[in-house]
Amino acid sequence: MRNILKLLTLAGGVSLVALGATPAFAVGTDAGASIVNTATINYQVGGVAQTALTASNTIVVDRKVNLSVVELGTTTTSVVPGQTQAATTFTVTNLTNATIDIGLAAANLVGGAAPHGGTDVFNPGAYTLYLDDGDNLFDAGDTLITYLDEVPEDGARVVHVVTSISAAQTNGQIATVSLTGTAQAGGAAGTAGAVLTATAGANTAGIDTVLADAAGTDDAANDGRHSARDDYTVSAPVLTVSKLSRVISDPVNGTTNPKMIPGAVVEYCIVVANAAGGAPATSVVITDSVPTETTYLGAFGVLTGGTVVTGSTCTPGAGAGSYAAPVVTGSLGTINAGTQQTVVFRATIL
Amino acid sequence: MKIFLTLLAFLLPAAAMATDNVALSSTVFVEKTVPDSDGRARVILTEPKVVLPGDRLIFVLNYKNIGTTPATQFIVTNPMPGAVSYQGTPDRRALVSIDGGRAWGRLAELRVRESDGTLRSARPEDVTHVRWALTEKVPVGAQGKLSFRGVVR
Repeated sequence: MRNILKLLTLAGGVSLVALGATPAFAVGTDAGASIVNTATINYQVGGVAQTALTASNTIVVDRKVNLSVVELGTTTTSVVPGQTQAATTFTVTNLTNATIDIGLAAANLVGGAAPHGGTDVFNPGAYTLYLDDGDNLFDAGDTLITYLDEVPEDGARVVHVVTSISAAQTNGQIATVSLTGTAQAGGAAGTAGAVLTATAGANTAGIDTVLADAAGTDDAANDGRHSARDDYTVSAPVLTVSKLSRVISDPVNGTTNPKMIPGAVVEYCIVVANAAGGAPATSVVITDSVPTETTYLGAFGVLTGGTVVTGSTCTPGAGAGSYAAPVVTGSLGTINAGTQQTVVFRATIL
Repeated sequence: MKIFLTLLAFLLPAAAMATDNVALSSTVFVEKTVPDSDGRARVILTEPKVVLPGDRLIFVLNYKNIGTTPATQFIVTNPMPGAVSYQGTPDRRALVSIDGGRAWGRLAELRVRESDGTLRSARPEDVTHVRWALTEKVPVGAQGKLSFRGVVR
């Protein structure tokens, strides 16, 4: 056996390879990409180089459906009673090796532990969904949607789940919402594709579908869905109003142990307290009709903004209210949680 | 004629041409881990029915001398498909290239120059080609099997 030819193998030169798509995404090679493996043999027979021989094998990468829904942020959404546009925010990410549509559904949870502590005790109004405009804040630039259209591989979208809160809700009440994303076929912009399901039975020549998603808070693994929860917590002032009175003087005893006789001067004090733990109360205005058996004492006036109450004695504040017979009015502005303010006026018993 | 034969061999990869002295075929298996009846993990090889990113593949090349004369200088070259990352071969004869087939060596011996000029050891995913150069001749009727592992990117 003579080896006349030393064989030159320039592998790059002899490979007739149609390379599969080079993956550009963390989620892997595109669904539908062909992996073509080609081997080449160079050899000699009787010392003579023979025609190089190649063999190739092609497999098609299937669609691995995966998506994630996670809450954006780590705190509850603080809402006030009667709020019409209360938003929780989620990030929805396509982890499929293909472009897909993602159906969205927000649902109330009834009872149970809330994601940020406490227990779900009420349901807000109907939910609407908005696609964020890039600032991760729910605002006027966001777009009303019902599903996410043509989300590319590795594409993430920020979705706001918006609802209204009944005016009847009270401080500290919690509502839990879940957002579920469903993988749907992409390919047609502006149209929600059919829900993707696992290809049943044997492998087909085309692109098969495998559901590879993890279990979310409200869905199972490998169901083509993923979900997460967030919650709304009502933050409202907890106001109490009390009215105190004491006699200042009478025409017989003066200011020494005065009694409630006709001609005596009575001091009325209205105390507005905002309990600790609630929200500040703003634009607080107190109105009170002076009793018909008394006469408003204009020389004393209406004093607002006091904060000190000792027994039934209020230390008058520096602010001034007004009187328009028979109504006393005191504007207190903002009363923060855990504080109180008073409105003080005097009247003479007829 | 030479071009024609090569092209035909490519189009009909499994079919050995009558004029060829050697037959070559390429097959792929997917390595799956499945629990057996006792709940232990078992690794099985399956047909590439469902192939997903992250799946482990085993590429097998079968060759046979179907001619009437022993073959020598027998070299099998396999470029890595773009979507597959090389994961090694149990065959100690195999050499790899990380530069498109210009230089060859064992993976542990190859170095990659980073963009900042530093050198680092080559990693499996750097491999662009794998090659077997058989030192012994392949007698008439002899056949063999070469394999390497990859993972779908």
